[in-house]
Amino acid sequence: MGQDNFMTQKRNLSLPTTAAAGNGRAFVGGGRGALRGKHVQKTFNNIKITILCGFVTILVLRGTIGIGSLGSSDALNQNLIEETNRILAEIRSDSDPIDPNDPPEPDVNPNTTYSLGPKILNWDSDRRNWLEGNPEFPSYVNGKPKVLLLTGSPPNPCDNPMGDHYLLKAVKNKIDYCRIHGIEIVYNMAHLDKELAGYWAKLPMIRRLMLSHPEVEWIWWMDSDALFTDMVFQVPLSKYSKHNLVIHGYPDLLFDQKSWIALNTGSFLFRNCQWSLDLLDAWAPMGPKGPIRDEAGKILTANLKGRPAFEADDQSALIYLLISRQDKWMDKVYVENSYYLHGFWAGLVDRYEEMIDKYHPGLGDERWPFVTHFVGCKPCGSYGDYPVERCLRSMERAFNFADNQVLKLYGFGHRGLLSPKIKRVRNETATPLEYVDKFNIRRASHSL
Amino acid sequence: MMERCLGAYRWRRMQRAFRQFKVTIICLLLTIVVLRGTIGAGKFGTPEQDYLEIRDHLIHTSRKRAEPHRVLEEVQPQQTMASDSSSSGGGGSATTNSYTEFDINTILKDEEPDDKPDPNKPYSLGPKISDWDEQRATWLKENPQFPNFIGPNKPRVLLVTGSSPKPCENPVGDHYLLKSIKNKIDYCRLHGVEVFYNMALLDAEMAGFWAKLPLIRKLLLSHPEIEFLWWMDSDAMFTDMAFEVPWERYRDSNFVMHGWNEMVYDEKNWIGLNTGSFLLRNCQWSLDILDSWAPMGPKGKVREEAGKILTRELKNRPVFEADDQSAMVYLLATQRDKWGDKVYLENAYYLHGYWGILVDRYEEMIENYHPGLGDHRWPLVTHFVGCKPCGKFGDYPVERCLKQMDRAFNFGDNQILQMYGFTHKSLASRRVKRVRNETSNPLEVKDELGLLHPAFKAVKVSSS
Repeated sequence: MGQDNFMTQKRNLSLPTTAAAGNGRAFVGGGRGALRGKHVQKTFNNIKITILCGFVTILVLRGTIGIGSLGSSDALNQNLIEETNRILAEIRSDSDPIDPNDPPEPDVNPNTTYSLGPKILNWDSDRRNWLEGNPEFPSYVNGKPKVLLLTGSPPNPCDNPMGDHYLLKAVKNKIDYCRIHGIEIVYNMAHLDKELAGYWAKLPMIRRLMLSHPEVEWIWWMDSDALFTDMVFQVPLSKYSKHNLVIHGYPDLLFDQKSWIALNTGSFLFRNCQWSLDLLDAWAPMGPKGPIRDEAGKILTANLKGRPAFEADDQSALIYLLISRQDKWMDKVYVENSYYLHGFWAGLVDRYEEMIDKYHPGLGDERWPFVTHFVGCKPCGSYGDYPVERCLRSMERAFNFADNQVLKLYGFGHRGLLSPKIKRVRNETATPLEYVDKFNIRRASHSL
Repeated sequence: MMERCLGAYRWRRMQRAFRQFKVTIICLLLTIVVLRGTIGAGKFGTPEQDYLEIRDHLIHTSRKRAEPHRVLEEVQPQQTMASDSSSSGGGGSATTNSYTEFDINTILKDEEPDDKPDPNKPYSLGPKISDWDEQRATWLKENPQFPNFIGPNKPRVLLVTGSSPKPCENPVGDHYLLKSIKNKIDYCRLHGVEVFYNMALLDAEMAGFWAKLPLIRKLLLSHPEIEFLWWMDSDAMFTDMAFEVPWERYRDSNFVMHGWNEMVYDEKNWIGLNTGSFLLRNCQWSLDILDSWAPMGPKGKVREEAGKILTRELKNRPVFEADDQSAMVYLLATQRDKWGDKVYLENAYYLHGYWGILVDRYEEMIENYHPGLGDHRWPLVTHFVGCKPCGKFGDYPVERCLKQMDRAFNFGDNQILQMYGFTHKSLASRRVKRVRNETSNPLEVKDELGLLHPAFKAVKVSSS
């Protein structure tokens, strides 16, 4: 109220001036126009601060939040992103264009025993005849038997991109070892038998390769999550002249404790012979997916120590087979543990620096493991059995540990076991061959 | 009312003061707002964060929109989403078992700093070697167990390819690199070629497409038993598994690339040849050409300036930094008399085949032709130039590139699988189906293409 009085006072004060101005003018209309103009001006004065504030607010908000969906270029980007993601999702899905002309595939009859293929009876003599008839494809080259390394991964992208990256690094690691030691690689990305998918997929592939390549003496299966960490060590195949299956494990765990991890089927060698075909035939029946695999899983959990309850896997099935038919199979099986044909990663990866300090490549055992196998990490899936950071860190270290042995010939090494970058460890020279003679692993192993 | 509390005079004074200072007060408020907008107000966040929170909250209902953002971007710790995978919180904690939220850059670390090269020294691939032919010949004589020819017309070949040691920016990029290396492993196993997959940057100066030069030189010098080095880009795939490179044709050449003489020497066209797939003999001449090729490579000012020269001198070249291919065209066009007689520009078969003109014709090729031809009827190599599957952006639409790479891979893979009696269900499908029944006499079965035991893999039979 006091305010009103004040305002009216102000108005009273202003009026006389207007009136005075109006008096100064001849026309009454002119006076009224001037009054309106002044009115407008006053209003403007009052709200100019408001306008200024509004303007600045808009500027500030635009500066922080941005125009958002008002911008057309943003909408375009959004469309592009959505389109790309749709394509990526399609690629990563397991779906396949279904051909309507394809006959529906028959289900496996649970009453008949599953078979990998027609029974072959004379493989040893057939193979010997073939080798005699084809001397240009010998099974022994320079005294060394021909070995084929088989590995593989699923045909679709991994659930996460890190998985594919480590599959790529693992295959590079295997390429390096096999180039140095003259071993051929077959990288399988096809499910030859849809019944035996997953970890069982190796069985039909091993059989197929044995039968198609009679010149191959040994087939070496290696999991995609196993890395070579000793580039110099060679499998002493002459030790196994009387055996047909070489697998890493512990006999006491196998026969006394019947443990489900007594052997490891992540890295093993099969001789190309009739015995191996027979073993594969005896091994396969627990594999076909569905009720057979589930039931078999229950049997295995009941009979093997420490096995959790899940569907039958190839490792437990092999252990069970070898335990229950010991008399039939064990005389040709070599359970190897004098070197790490399979080395469980958890106990090894933290010791690499110590190994570099104290030992040297070529030992293959706990001092310098031949193979570091990342069981349980499952980088290709979404979830592993171990913390991701530990797994990936360890895999990177193992890869670099092995890569350093390969790069040594070229005078380079990684800048730390966790670094993807390399540094020079030996200066360039104009006579490189003296170092080649010193550091070439292949040359050294040849002269052995 | 106020007036009654304070007294009319005081009240009037207060109002006057207020009027005078209202501009000041408004400016103060504005400053606070702006500061909050830029710096943030601690746990209250910035307006942008508020906006994101509101947006995410609204999007929460239609989940699909939120997911794609995570897919294309590098995996980042999720600060705002309070959704299912809350166990890991933000920033990929050490105990998470889920791979989808992990950022690899938290574990990779360099223990030593980069070397800084001397800017005044001219770039060189290594100390000059002048007698490589003699050094190598002596070594081969001393090491007869490593001959440089593994057959009468078959030199020892090393196929070299590679990719970055860090994960691809594109989430499926590594998968395509994996398929590509499998494809190369298959071809090389069939043809008795060794493979070297490089993941190391030997010289930080020569990064990018120039990285192959120091690598090639290093491999030539470290493997004197290699007669030919075959460089192949990671985005190139073999699509003819039965074609054997005609080695006798290159008896007198040291450098074989796909290209056309007229386009290189007469037109100086920057795509007159392709350095995505080439053969280089292990000899002094090759070391010399590598030394002449390298100077345009060192990154920074040298490469930029060289790029300008190349764009000016070569036909149709766009403006960008110097690349190894343009530099080779320029080198050959300007110094033909020095190098030309030992360079063979091959175009009778697709030592490099541009994918754009090939991939749509695969079905037609399957209908009308057969593997072993290597040329336009059944290309040896399909090279996905410009697709850049490992990066986020390429020169062509993503869908076309990735789908066609799948088709090319399957086209090549079918030739491998047919050895074992299988084939892909279609060129777009990952699934395989049986095309030849199992038999109890597997040795009597011959595969159609004769790739199981091909002549070019036969070992020399010593007469006894």
